[in-house]
Amino acid sequence: MLCHEFEDQLTDYLDGTLGVEAHKNFAEHAMRCPLCHDLLGEVKSTLVACSASEAPPAGVGLEARILMKTMPETAITCAEFEDYLTDYLDGFLVAPLYHRWERHAALCESCSELPGDVVRSIGACYTYKQDELAVPAGLEARILQSTIGNVLPQQVRAPFMSRLVEWLRGALDPIVSPQLATVATMLLVAVFVLTNTVSTDGSVGGIYHASLQLAQRTADNATRSSVVPDGMKNLEGSVDDLMGADNASDTSDEANKNQNQANQNNASPNPQSKRKNNDAQPKGR
Amino acid sequence: MGVAKLLVTSEGAELVRRCRKGDGAAWEEIVQTYSRRIYNLAYRFTSRADSAEDLTQEVFIRVYRSLDQYNPKQGDLQNWLMRLARNLIIDDYRKRQRAPQDEAADDLEEHKYHLRASGATVQREMERRELGVQVQAGIDKLSADLRTCVILRDIEELSYQEIVDLLKIPEGTVKSRINRGRIELAKILRRMRVVEA
Repeated sequence: MLCHEFEDQLTDYLDGTLGVEAHKNFAEHAMRCPLCHDLLGEVKSTLVACSASEAPPAGVGLEARILMKTMPETAITCAEFEDYLTDYLDGFLVAPLYHRWERHAALCESCSELPGDVVRSIGACYTYKQDELAVPAGLEARILQSTIGNVLPQQVRAPFMSRLVEWLRGALDPIVSPQLATVATMLLVAVFVLTNTVSTDGSVGGIYHASLQLAQRTADNATRSSVVPDGMKNLEGSVDDLMGADNASDTSDEANKNQNQANQNNASPNPQSKRKNNDAQPKGR
Repeated sequence: MGVAKLLVTSEGAELVRRCRKGDGAAWEEIVQTYSRRIYNLAYRFTSRADSAEDLTQEVFIRVYRSLDQYNPKQGDLQNWLMRLARNLIIDDYRKRQRAPQDEAADDLEEHKYHLRASGATVQREMERRELGVQVQAGIDKLSADLRTCVILRDIEELSYQEIVDLLKIPEGTVKSRINRGRIELAKILRRMRVVEA
């Protein structure tokens, strides 16, 4: 095989399309001829290099330009772009608008630098905030002089009335503060429950009835004792009167009535107190 | 409410209680704690040291007279005090905008910046100081509405809702002004070569 024939069959050899005999002759020539051997090696290396190389990356605006050409209705103006800038930075843009905004940022030369500038500007503000100005000398003294009238605050003492008002404010705060209202209500209810002075039927009359029963029990206890003071005897009489009138419409506690009658016999009558209590009864009910 | 916040609240309440009783030392502690922050806030709006000093003093006089109105149950002392300060400073700023005066921010160089980074090099301190001067100059160029919103949002770091409550304008307006203010400031700082890509 001659060298020019080798070159003619080079591509067919690399493509693997040579016949068996031609392939054998081609390989033998490559082994015998140094020039053709080198040529074959260079072509192979070139092919490898070509297959490994890639096209340079597309410009950042390529996709945006394609979309702009094909779907111009999705574009936004520069004014809209600026209007949405803070929303974009805050992450509040909805997806379709977000993509249109980014497309404009990539496409528009006058707008492409703006987002970065705004971010750096905000950063400059934060840096500026960190570098606080020191308070000018004498300013705090002037403030103290204009408020408490003295640059030596330790010497300042408020008038007696001011101190008294503040003391009262602190002392009364737990009382006037509404936070204790719930607790106070619960305590009141607890006292009523524990002393059995809660109305059974929810009426005001029921409260008086329960109170009278409580008083009656107290009077009974006092009656059982050997020595009963005159004041207690008067109380017994008044309670009996009240219970007698009250039980006229409520005969459920017949045993108590009998006991009241017995008590009346023991107690010294006191018309005056009776009258007073009889007068008071309608008011109470 | 966390334990730390409760502690802060109770400490503030205790300070105020002592002030009401006439304890001058307690009032001095409040002044020392908050004067720098209020002075800086006033300076953002006025851009002048003397105006900021006067405004800070005025704020503390108003705070002192309003101590009776402080209720610890409605928040800690810092929130209450800064809310009051912001209201007064913004009111003052609006008044000055209605009656503009010749207040060129020409005394920026007279002030020394307090730098928290104690280990920073002198050159870095100079750069930071220069940045502060330029940012303030950029903010000064914004219109009053945009300037107010940018300061409250990007320097005071208030939320949108807090700004709405403070300025008593709709949330949409607040967002729009912040957005416009940021863009304007970015363009100004870019022209000044403070921010560059």
